[in-house]
Amino acid sequence: MKASELIEQNNQKRALLTEGNEKYYTNLLLYIRTKLTLSEQQSEEVLMEMLDHLIEGQQEGKTAKEIFGNDPKGYADEIVSQLPRENKRNSFIFMGEIAVNIIGWFLIMRSIIIPIIGGEASEKVYVISSLLLIILIMIMTAFGVKMIFGLISQSSFDDKATDKKMMFKAGLYGAGGFLIIAIISFFVKEVGPSFTLPWQISFGIGSLLLLVSWLIKKSRI
Amino acid sequence: MTIRSQLLKGILDGCVLAVIEKEPVYGYELSKKLQKVGLEDVSEGTIYPVLLRLQKNKLILGEIRPSESGPNRKYYSLTSAGKVTLETISLEWNQLSVPINALLSKGDETIES
Repeated sequence: MKASELIEQNNQKRALLTEGNEKYYTNLLLYIRTKLTLSEQQSEEVLMEMLDHLIEGQQEGKTAKEIFGNDPKGYADEIVSQLPRENKRNSFIFMGEIAVNIIGWFLIMRSIIIPIIGGEASEKVYVISSLLLIILIMIMTAFGVKMIFGLISQSSFDDKATDKKMMFKAGLYGAGGFLIIAIISFFVKEVGPSFTLPWQISFGIGSLLLLVSWLIKKSRI
Repeated sequence: MTIRSQLLKGILDGCVLAVIEKEPVYGYELSKKLQKVGLEDVSEGTIYPVLLRLQKNKLILGEIRPSESGPNRKYYSLTSAGKVTLETISLEWNQLSVPINALLSKGDETIES
């Protein structure tokens, strides 16, 4: 059974849990799923086993605390420490998919902005600065994902953590990241070799890349 | 952690392998069987980190398939490496348990006398 099918089943089965058990289990689930380096397949399999166990235990009147113990974070850490890592090939395909997706959006955004700004100058692509910008956006995205997943993971078992606080931190990061990208793209504008890329072609290539990333996603899950 | 659960932690891998050797089981079944033989101290969730570790070390093999009652379950069976390890653990346990039994039971007598 594929990870995507397990996730789908997990979503349906979680509805069978009582309120207290659901909260306990969902915290475990978030904590384990946000550890990005772990094998997705193995993580989903053990999460499904634990959910099945909890549902059966619940029918006998047991609570999640009785089954998995009083220290959910300690327990989750034990599970995480035993889970195998995602293999390199899968991680590479996943990162490739995201990279293609980002470049696709980048080209489409460009094709929207050019007709608005107008002028032939804006159709020029400076190879070095464009590459720099794309790499920067990718790095920012990677850090952003890592940070947001880290936030979710940290707050999983922290009763005091509120969604508002988390959203504020994530928003701050987004704004900061955007500012850095804007400043850098302003300074490194016109250096090195360039060529003209009309917005229509930019739009076409961008759409194609989005299609490719969608196809990779389809084949991956 | 109680002394009993500390002692158990070291030998739990062997107990899990021994249950799986008899017939393939899934997680919930496994915890029931451990409790049935008298290991009631094992909190049910404890088996999942153990199962993951045994899988990682290729001592057991997990396979998702339909259960008798209908829904899919992940059934575990022993690999050949698992069988060898179980034999080793049994052997080591016997070598330890005999002298420890003798020693600790004797200790009881001294206190009583």
